[in-house]
Amino acid sequence: MYSLGIDVGSVSTNLVLLDNNNNVVEKLYVRTKGRPMEAVQLVFAEIQKKYDDRQIYSVGTTGSGRMIASIQTGADIVKNEITAHAVAAIQTERDVKTVLEIGGQDSKIIIIRDGVVTDFAMNTVCAAGTGSFLDRQAERLGIPIEEFGDHALKATVPVRIAGRCAVFAESDMIHKQQLGYNTCDIIAGLCDALVRNYLSNVAKGKDILPKVIFQGGVAANSGIHRAFEKALNMPVLIPEHYDVMGAVGAAILAREKVSREKTKTHFKGFSISASSFKSKSFVCSDCSNQCEVVSVLENQQPVGYFGDRCGKYNRFSASATGIAMH
Amino acid sequence: MRVGIPKGLLYCKYHPFFETFFHGLGAEIINSEDTNKSILNTGVKACVDEACLPVKIYHGHIASIKDQCDLLVIPRIMQVYRNEYICPKFCGLPEMVIHSIPDMPPVTLAPLYMHNKKSLYKWCISSGSAITRNRSKIKHAFELALKAQSNYKTGILDQKDITVMLAGHPYIVNDAFLNMNIVNKLKAKGIGIITEEFAPSSITETQIKKLLKKPFWTFKRNLYGASAAFYEQKKVHGIIYLSSFACGIDSIVVDLIRFHIGEFPMLVIKLDEHTGEAGVDTRLEAFTDMLERRVVNENNHPSHGQCLYSSQNSI
Repeated sequence: MYSLGIDVGSVSTNLVLLDNNNNVVEKLYVRTKGRPMEAVQLVFAEIQKKYDDRQIYSVGTTGSGRMIASIQTGADIVKNEITAHAVAAIQTERDVKTVLEIGGQDSKIIIIRDGVVTDFAMNTVCAAGTGSFLDRQAERLGIPIEEFGDHALKATVPVRIAGRCAVFAESDMIHKQQLGYNTCDIIAGLCDALVRNYLSNVAKGKDILPKVIFQGGVAANSGIHRAFEKALNMPVLIPEHYDVMGAVGAAILAREKVSREKTKTHFKGFSISASSFKSKSFVCSDCSNQCEVVSVLENQQPVGYFGDRCGKYNRFSASATGIAMH
Repeated sequence: MRVGIPKGLLYCKYHPFFETFFHGLGAEIINSEDTNKSILNTGVKACVDEACLPVKIYHGHIASIKDQCDLLVIPRIMQVYRNEYICPKFCGLPEMVIHSIPDMPPVTLAPLYMHNKKSLYKWCISSGSAITRNRSKIKHAFELALKAQSNYKTGILDQKDITVMLAGHPYIVNDAFLNMNIVNKLKAKGIGIITEEFAPSSITETQIKKLLKKPFWTFKRNLYGASAAFYEQKKVHGIIYLSSFACGIDSIVVDLIRFHIGEFPMLVIKLDEHTGEAGVDTRLEAFTDMLERRVVNENNHPSHGQCLYSSQNSI
């Protein structure tokens, strides 16, 4: 029996299947492109070709789109990214002490001691130093993001780029380009700036001890990896499944929950990939809060709501799908 | 005579004083509604860009009632504690509003020193003169107002198996719209809450005395003092600090608390105009997960009779 983990992030949607020993047997990675429901359907359509519903023991969702994905799939557990990433990191490296995670919109650091999360931090309102910023700069320089890291490694003299703010960094980069600096050196400088910003902002005051694990989509970037090793002066490990660690964690947590509670999974089946999912948002004018409520419709039937501050619609969706919203 | 009292900033702390006073003079009190989206939208539009979110929201409160009243109370609160100040924006609040919002009714301009009875009385004479010239009536209303204020208690004290200190300027902690309903969110997770008001003043005082320099801002005294006191007393399992983006005082206080408490759990939530709650929910959930696991680990036995995760994968 497999446990299914789905991580619906701002940039990518990932799915993994874990076997009974929590080994990754299948992983899929697609771009969310701002349409989380379609992304989930897309990966389901793909996985459906090889597996059927009865092989699924449990389902967990995580990521910023975890609520919408749980409504869609009938997840057994809905967990935040921090917990999911930590669980996956500990599963991979038992004696991990620090997890660096950089995703599309979020970057975080998780401090683990004796297998327990003792501290964590996430970026605040600013998205400088996250994947989407790198994405945008790569696009501006006309370099595919996949090759970004290799360019950085070719640099001989990294140029200093202001890294505190994405807007400042961009204008600094443009100025450096206009002065004729070599593109590889600028990219290496950008990697250094991003790491500097991460360490002085997200990781401020945190005691970074080895083993350090670096995961999340940005771990694919060898330039950032090298910049981290240089700045921390210690080896930084990248796990084999660095890009889907959130989904791995969600799958592990889902399996634990189902086996602990001895329940059957609420999984709605891969066939939802053929359903028509629509979301409709409306402004509830029952009180002055004027919440923007989103309702999720599956084949024209509402299956879930969120966005309401009072929980009026949410209660309906919790009872309708039979899952605990936590 | 209709007197407008906007429900923003330190209204949550001092409204009994203002309302009782003007009520005692026979005025009709016009309150703004609790903060909501249209108040936020008007406030953001009216206010200067650099101000913090609570000040912007305050502008929204004013704009929503200004046309219904003959006098608007915009308290220029200078001090609430001897030899300390609160925040520079409060000292110039009436001017800030008058120059940002057109067609304002008359507003109260006199300064307020909330700890000083004499100064409060002076404020009452100057603000009440728009309604009555009768000194004894003002005096009487003033006495009533003082009494109402001293009987008024604020703060949250709700201790549970896991309790956090909910820190932040009072107008953030008490405004459910601004803080994205955090009090109810914590309640729903079964987490207890304690706020700065319930820190014993003797311990707060000793903590403050240990600082290199006495606080200039009262917010610093209250927030740092209470956080340090709860930490020393082991009264809470963690601190959740609500801070509005770009707050100058918080930029110092947050780091000061961090420095004092070391590795003790603290979550800083920066609030701005976001209304999407996913970011806050993620942080809260991860933080409470962590506290639960820490408690289980410290006691070395599960708190609710069962293990949250199997030991192999425990976090």
